[in-house]
Amino acid sequence: MATRNRTLLFRKYRNSLRSVRAPMTESKSGVGPVIEMASTSLLHPKRSYTPVSTEDPGTSSKGAVTVGLPPDWVDVSEEISVNIQRARTKMAELGKAHAKALMPSFGDGKEDQHQIESLTQEVTFLLRKSEKQLQRLSKGGPSEDSSVRKNVQRSLATDLQQLSMELRKKQSTYLKRLRLQKEDGGDLEMNLNGSSSRAEDDDFDDILFSEHQMSKIKKSEEISVEREKEIQQVVESVNELAQIMKDLSALVIDQGTIVDRIDYNIQNVSSTVEDGLKQLQKAERTQRSGGMVKCASVLVILCFIMLVLLILKEIIF
Amino acid sequence: MALVTSVRDYINRMLQDISGMKVLILDSETVSNVSIVYSQSELLQKEVFLVEMIDSISASNESMSHLKAVYFVRPTSENVQKLRHQLANPRFGEYHLFFSNLLKDTQIHILADSDEQEVVQQVQEFYADFVAGDPYHFTLNMAANHLYMLPAVVDPSGLQRYSDRVVDGIAAVFLALKRRPVIRYQRTSDTAKRIAQETAKLMYQQESGLFDFRRTESSPLLLVIDRRDDPVTPLLNQWTYQAMVHELIGLQDNKVDLRAIGSLPKDQQVEVVLSSEQDAFFKSNMYENFGDIGMNIKRMVDDFQQVAKSNQNIQTVEDMARFVDNYPEYKKMQGNVSKHVTLVTEMSKLVEARKLMLVSQTEQDLACNGGQGAAYEAVTDLLNNESVSDIDRLRLVMLYALRYEKENPVQLMQLFNKLASRSPKYKQGLVQFLLKQAGVEKRTGDLFGNRDLLNIARNMARGLKGVENVYTQHQPLLFQTMESITRGRLRDVDYPFVGDHFQQGRPQEVVIFMVGGTTYEESRCVALQNSTNSGIRFILGGTAVLNSKRFLMDLEEAQRISRSGSHMV
Repeated sequence: MATRNRTLLFRKYRNSLRSVRAPMTESKSGVGPVIEMASTSLLHPKRSYTPVSTEDPGTSSKGAVTVGLPPDWVDVSEEISVNIQRARTKMAELGKAHAKALMPSFGDGKEDQHQIESLTQEVTFLLRKSEKQLQRLSKGGPSEDSSVRKNVQRSLATDLQQLSMELRKKQSTYLKRLRLQKEDGGDLEMNLNGSSSRAEDDDFDDILFSEHQMSKIKKSEEISVEREKEIQQVVESVNELAQIMKDLSALVIDQGTIVDRIDYNIQNVSSTVEDGLKQLQKAERTQRSGGMVKCASVLVILCFIMLVLLILKEIIF
Repeated sequence: MALVTSVRDYINRMLQDISGMKVLILDSETVSNVSIVYSQSELLQKEVFLVEMIDSISASNESMSHLKAVYFVRPTSENVQKLRHQLANPRFGEYHLFFSNLLKDTQIHILADSDEQEVVQQVQEFYADFVAGDPYHFTLNMAANHLYMLPAVVDPSGLQRYSDRVVDGIAAVFLALKRRPVIRYQRTSDTAKRIAQETAKLMYQQESGLFDFRRTESSPLLLVIDRRDDPVTPLLNQWTYQAMVHELIGLQDNKVDLRAIGSLPKDQQVEVVLSSEQDAFFKSNMYENFGDIGMNIKRMVDDFQQVAKSNQNIQTVEDMARFVDNYPEYKKMQGNVSKHVTLVTEMSKLVEARKLMLVSQTEQDLACNGGQGAAYEAVTDLLNNESVSDIDRLRLVMLYALRYEKENPVQLMQLFNKLASRSPKYKQGLVQFLLKQAGVEKRTGDLFGNRDLLNIARNMARGLKGVENVYTQHQPLLFQTMESITRGRLRDVDYPFVGDHFQQGRPQEVVIFMVGGTTYEESRCVALQNSTNSGIRFILGGTAVLNSKRFLMDLEEAQRISRSGSHMV
């Protein structure tokens, strides 16, 4: 794993050559530093400007706009990756919230539930939004960087898939444990119910105690309804995620197959590009010749029909 | 550290320090180096969103200044010229130049001169200048591999390029391992000697600073040997999985092109990957013999059917959820099963059609056991057999000729004539050319184990004991060589040292470089040797990975050139 860094030597050569070249290229300066500045500002916003970029602002800004500005899809992809990042942090929070909600506590846990709900919704929303944007990424005119765009899309799709898979796993384990708890809770309820009814049958005097019990039952019913609702929500979001998964799986590469080989992809791209060019040329040819020929033949046929009509008209009338 | 991991580490280091969107630019050689160990999805994780060849990069002018270019190319003068044009008119925002071998100062000067806009951020040498197919087996994938057979006067510049490339490759391997070896070579081979001496010059004189690593207890050993010392191994039919695929279908950078074998199931990919790094089934079966593979594949198919059945049975929502969870795994398994089944089916078809069982038995007898009379009869029988293919006939006669070169020349002539009448496709005198190249006078090692008494006795003992499998009884000469190295009995007369750097004690790392190419049988031999934990780790390398077709092709090409050369003179 030895390496050798030749950058210093390269810089030395470059600097010495620049000092030689400087008086010669003064007339046509402007191009180099401008590009440097443009790329610097876009790619390393924090990096300080190089002192050479003290040029005439008029020409430099023009150069920067045409040379340095990345295409629109870069913004979209950045937005997606920011969203993915946000979803990831939210996921971590969600995991904590799940753990907290499942822990036996003395409070009614409503706050926890609320937090989980909102977090889940947020994450799902982020994922869906990113997925929609991802579809947008592939749209747009055919240009040379279409393969770049496709690859960006693929990599983001892989990230998204992983994330949604993780979310699904988290939710399903949460759901399972919630159900387990509910069953336990149900048993308790049954007991309460049984005892309370027995109490009602046996003794009407002790109505105070019974009322107290009734309120308890009501409360537990409320809780169970709420839990039901929660489960429903979780199921819904699972379904949603399944849909996202389906859409994404079309984009993600299967690892370990020939599609995942670098050299295969290079060959493929070049051959498809060539194919595309051929097809285009062919299309152009057929379009040109086909359109003209069709137009002419239609006109000729029309002429002929008109002529026949004219003759018929002359003969009949 | 195995070769595959060191190349991967190089690539990781190349990509991880550069943030943002990147484009990786390779040349026709580094593309093999990189893609055999790294996958597209791994590149995507490193934010490499485009991989291009250095030629196609300069074909277009569209500016992509939002991308950073990471070049990983060999430091050839063509590449430097292309880079020069690119730097004069840059398409990308930044340039990070990585070269796979030693850069000359003049090349750095040229690059610095063309970098007027100062877009180059770094220039580095990362020595991943070899194709690491397996952990202990590398190749240089050289196109003009026949050159080593020619005497230096025929094509001096070609041979110079050839040995330069080999020296570069060997140097890169040792730089990647961070070692400076003592160097030995096979005395009878001029090409091996030349390569050994040039390597020594590079490591001990020209770049001695670069190769000055921390001393280890015992220096590693580089042994340069010649393919012609063991012409038998590339002529044999193979029966272990990896070697067999290469022999019958062809394996290039761990890829198999299935288009060559005709009819294919419809949904099968036209190319498949056979990499021990990514495919667990292949990893555990690559050195198994054909019969065992059949059994193992059957087991795999059974497992797969079980999984498929459980996936069909979906009734509840939980089943569905489980199915969706397991689906990617399932799909991967499906692809893998169909890949191996296709390969094995195709190979067994070929074995059947070419009567390879019969042929191979005689081949193994020729290579391993004595008995000239019986061998002559067996070869004649097979030459008369209609279903034996031309290439197998030629190989049989070659093996016979190598084995019984000096016994009964009349019968040898009869076989030559029979071959000529049976298979007119092959040029006259190819067998004689092989004998001239790799005959008994040229060889150093005891190829057939019939030179000294000990080997003869050992062979006889083996004959009495019987062998496990008739088809895989052959041991390549390399096995003996490795054994001698392990025991410290490699003879100084046959394998002299270069310069005054001698071995002290037993080496712990040995790189055996085979000029003229290696075979997968030898690669298997090395892997098995390494797994025995003898305290010595062997790495095998060659100029190409041979199968019999490639070996015969090189032989024919060398014959053609030397013949036209002799006509001119």
